[in-house]
Amino acid sequence: MSAGPSRISPGGETVTFTFDAVTYCARAGDTLAAALLANGVGLVARSFKYHRPRGIMAAGIEEPNALVTVGEGGRAEPNTRATDLFVYEGMVAKSQNAWPSLSLDLGAALGLASPALPAGFYYKTFFGPAKRWMRYEWLIRRAAGLGNAPTLPDPDKFAQRAAFCDVLVVGAGPAGIKAALEAAESGAQVMLVEQDAVLGGSLHRDPDPECDAAWIAASAARIAALGGRILLRTTASGYWDHNFLTLTQRLAEPGAVPAHGFAQQLWHLRAGRVVLATGVIERPIPFTNNDRPGVMLAGAVRTYVRRYGVLPGRRVVIAANNDDAYRTAAALIEAGAEVLAILDSRSSSTADAPDGVPVLYDARPTHVSGTAHRLSRVTALVREREQSWTADLLAVSGGFVPVAHLHMQAGGKLDWNEAAQAFVPGVTHQNCVTIGAAADPVPATPAAPAGHPKKSFVDFQNDVSLADIDLAWQEGYRSVEHLKRYTTLGMATDQGKTSNMVALSRLAERGHVSVPQAGLTTFRPPFTPVTMGLFAGAGARNAAAHERRLALYDLHEARGPVWQPLGYWFRPRAYTLGSETLAEAALREARGVRTSVGLTDVSTLAKFEVSGPDAAALLEIVCATTVSKLAAGRGRYTFMLREDGMVFDDGTVWRLAEDRYLLTSSTGGADRMASHLSFVRNVLRPELRVSVVNVQEHHAGIAFAGPKASTLLAGLIGEAPPRHMSLARAVIAGVPVLLLAASYSGERAFEIYAEATQAQPVWRALAAAAEAEGGAPYGMDAMELLRIEKGHVVVGGEVDGRTTPRDLGLDKMLNKAGGFIGANGLQRPALSEPGRIELVGLEALGGEIAEGAMLIGAGGGAPQGHVTAAGRRVIEGGAIALAHLAGGHARRGEELTAASPTRGITTRVRVVAPHFYDPAGERYRD
Amino acid sequence: MTELTITALPPAPLNAAEIWSNPAQVSVRCQAALGFALPGMGQSAGSEALKLLRYEPTVWLAEGDVAPLAAVLAEDGAITAIGGGIVRVRIAGAGWRALLMQGGVFEAEAAAFAPGHCAATVIDHVAVRLFVENEDACLAYVPSSYAAALMHFWHDVLPLVGAD
Amino acid sequence: MYLIDCPHCGPRAQLEFTYERTMDSIAPAGADPQEAMRVLYSRANPMGADDEVWRHTYGCRAWLVLTRNRMTHSIDAVRAVGPETLA
Repeated sequence: MSAGPSRISPGGETVTFTFDAVTYCARAGDTLAAALLANGVGLVARSFKYHRPRGIMAAGIEEPNALVTVGEGGRAEPNTRATDLFVYEGMVAKSQNAWPSLSLDLGAALGLASPALPAGFYYKTFFGPAKRWMRYEWLIRRAAGLGNAPTLPDPDKFAQRAAFCDVLVVGAGPAGIKAALEAAESGAQVMLVEQDAVLGGSLHRDPDPECDAAWIAASAARIAALGGRILLRTTASGYWDHNFLTLTQRLAEPGAVPAHGFAQQLWHLRAGRVVLATGVIERPIPFTNNDRPGVMLAGAVRTYVRRYGVLPGRRVVIAANNDDAYRTAAALIEAGAEVLAILDSRSSSTADAPDGVPVLYDARPTHVSGTAHRLSRVTALVREREQSWTADLLAVSGGFVPVAHLHMQAGGKLDWNEAAQAFVPGVTHQNCVTIGAAADPVPATPAAPAGHPKKSFVDFQNDVSLADIDLAWQEGYRSVEHLKRYTTLGMATDQGKTSNMVALSRLAERGHVSVPQAGLTTFRPPFTPVTMGLFAGAGARNAAAHERRLALYDLHEARGPVWQPLGYWFRPRAYTLGSETLAEAALREARGVRTSVGLTDVSTLAKFEVSGPDAAALLEIVCATTVSKLAAGRGRYTFMLREDGMVFDDGTVWRLAEDRYLLTSSTGGADRMASHLSFVRNVLRPELRVSVVNVQEHHAGIAFAGPKASTLLAGLIGEAPPRHMSLARAVIAGVPVLLLAASYSGERAFEIYAEATQAQPVWRALAAAAEAEGGAPYGMDAMELLRIEKGHVVVGGEVDGRTTPRDLGLDKMLNKAGGFIGANGLQRPALSEPGRIELVGLEALGGEIAEGAMLIGAGGGAPQGHVTAAGRRVIEGGAIALAHLAGGHARRGEELTAASPTRGITTRVRVVAPHFYDPAGERYRD
Repeated sequence: MTELTITALPPAPLNAAEIWSNPAQVSVRCQAALGFALPGMGQSAGSEALKLLRYEPTVWLAEGDVAPLAAVLAEDGAITAIGGGIVRVRIAGAGWRALLMQGGVFEAEAAAFAPGHCAATVIDHVAVRLFVENEDACLAYVPSSYAAALMHFWHDVLPLVGAD
Repeated sequence: MYLIDCPHCGPRAQLEFTYERTMDSIAPAGADPQEAMRVLYSRANPMGADDEVWRHTYGCRAWLVLTRNRMTHSIDAVRAVGPETLA
């Protein structure tokens, strides 16, 4: 390895890192690729399918070969390009897709059999039963692939931030810096983003005396002084509607421990104008073994020489179809390398080659050979005659592809530039312009291969060769989109940055059409891969959303309940005692309510105060029941319909005062109801004199239920509590409360509302009173048992968006006068036809009823309904359930089978009325 | 890192004053009775005893004693208490604007968002209302259920303020 | 993400808004039941500009009608609806 690439002038290494457990030294500012080349490491990866040895091909984000896993544990980042990774002290990088090691890779044996894995081999090879496919897939997944995703949680955090600017400049090469400076000088708020760690772009490869390091520094300082913002290690990865861009900023290098705990930041940027100075990507050229270590892009070679002081080879052949590659010859000569020949595929050129470097026209490489680590021989056809050189580096340039990804994401069009054999950005309807090399690439001629090369790769990352494209063509694939999917060309992490144009050219050659006629695949965000955690942001560990906390959280938490998520809320599911199971706790709590008293937190219910002279008029549009006849101080059950007549929510409505109502509805539907009320009030009935205010969080709510509730409450408030479905105002523990005598449990019960900030003393007083009488707090599971037994429907359970009031047995309550939302929809004849799914109760004839079980008739056949909620008689025991059953209202007494294959429970059940407990409602009355 | 303090303030009397008719006349009555007109969208007005913030076209957030306001509204609107559901969080220090860009979509860094101005927006998925108290402090009105989580979020991202 | 010029708040990010429905799906008050159902279920869905009801849900909570081009995503007009427009 000592004869491999090396530093041009020794010394200056201050950073140590490991690659495949070998420790190396690097200079600060090196990319991993530069450091590996400097250390003479030629072989850095094994290819995706054939495990062919691969080296470093590029110097930028387009690198298709040199993918590594960097970092350890949950911080490990697979498939990181060695060319887009700046070394840091202690960095741990590993090669991928090789076993047992890069040099001795058993998978490479597959490469010998590569004709067996041609384009579309998945589709051709793996016929037969699914079982066999599973085995193939297991083998293929082991053999083919990129790096492994880490299995541990990422210890680092990711931030998201908004930003606004007048002008965004993407790319800080000479054109980008000049554009940013000019915009800043004109008074614009400027942002300049650069994916590299330094400003300058191509200036590090091709120095310009007018744009030297001092000019770069002065320009950056001036932009900052004018209020501009410059972000390094920041990639404009997505360009969306209305000049909205997402920028991904690395706050620490991949795998490194970030200083403030944040590894990356996603910028949501809105720009007035966007200037794309994104430069170009060099095209490789086709010939046999064009993927060997030691074959590099000519511009990349120049970058390693001039920016990193690394000489990737000492005996170099250059092959090109353009003038730009001649500058690589000059750079190599300056650095002391020997340039054996410039193979120019053109018949002539006016480009100047350095003295003593032979230029051969009509010359194209045909193949290279060497070891897995190093190149040794380059062979070419020069004016139809074969010629060979002993060389350790072949620098290639097949022309330049403008980086038009962002322009295309913005909805732009491309124009074909015949002179450069490249697509350049054309018109766009967003306020966006492309400048610099991306708008004006170096002229180049078509880069057709010499002869018929074998193992000439087009897409290096996916191991797609010219032969694969030819095969797809023979098999009739004409569309570039089909070609992409059939061959996997342009997929995976690099999205065809170095391969798409080569493949398109081949397609055009085969079809004898021009490249633009061959078509183009879609450019989709992101431009370069983005860590998933960045999309989740800081909230990632809570499913990307914040938990909503009850006002009484501390009091519940002190009892150590089992918490139950309900939307973003968390509510106590049960307050387990000692070694109780959840089910035991729920049953104990429910029995407490039936026999004594219990209290539960119902704060999450949706609540709206509706006030004004037209309050009742609004409510009679929203609610399907009558509201206007309600006397002040009284309340009633209500439900709401969608326009199509289906029930979508239910709750209670209370007349607090002459022109003020309180409407409650379900927790889960709270946001939907808020929006619905607002829509009706503002869009449908803007003329109403009414105010609708969401007071869901203003009041904490406590349900106090059980045969002893009324007496205990009387003791607390010093007077008789309101009768069922009446309301009163009172004071508990010194706190003003609103008492609504409503029952969900089936017992005499009260919903007690206090301002949320003052609710804790109220809960304490109620809990103390209950506990003195053997009562206790109860959670959602007990509430579920109680309401099932009582036959109360639940939104999301029995109210599933497909049921009408009649289906649920609520039609007697409908407002006969109509005029409510859904009244029109209900008139559709099909909603009154017999056989609709209707709400029924079920009694088990022995055993348990499984929630979700299908209901099957005596003779078998298709399911006729399903169990919406399964419970038990709280006191007497025995399984009961609520269910949806076709024509259910008329089927009382019928016996059915409730079968749940997924739970493995099948039970005989009898159809009964959906009210198992106190159907006459006598327990509500004092 | 910029010096920033994030403090939950004690509960305050907060009310929604919604006007359904004759807003211009209500404003005139307000000027006459309270000494200030109804503020426009994104603006505030008030006195020691009562501050009005306008986040919605027809609703004013009233902080303080609303008894005189009820008379001003008369038959043209209604007042509803909402203070139990809102936690006021004061973000004080030069970096408050940058902090509010974290997880946000609203341009709190804009100079036009000046003291006395207010805006409703969403920060890290939570609907919040902002009021610029002065150049060095902003008040956020946060739904109570989200307040603990959002304050945790703000403390979490504090190291990023001023880091770019 | 769109930039929507709220007539009350100025230009704001789409994230603050929610889409409700197309304007042509809202039946006029007093429409007979059959007409109301026809309007509800038959929308023009033009390949071009359409009027859509949106709400500035996480901003001023006001309702808006956007004239939005479904091909280019350009928003050609935003107008307020609601009581504030009656005064």
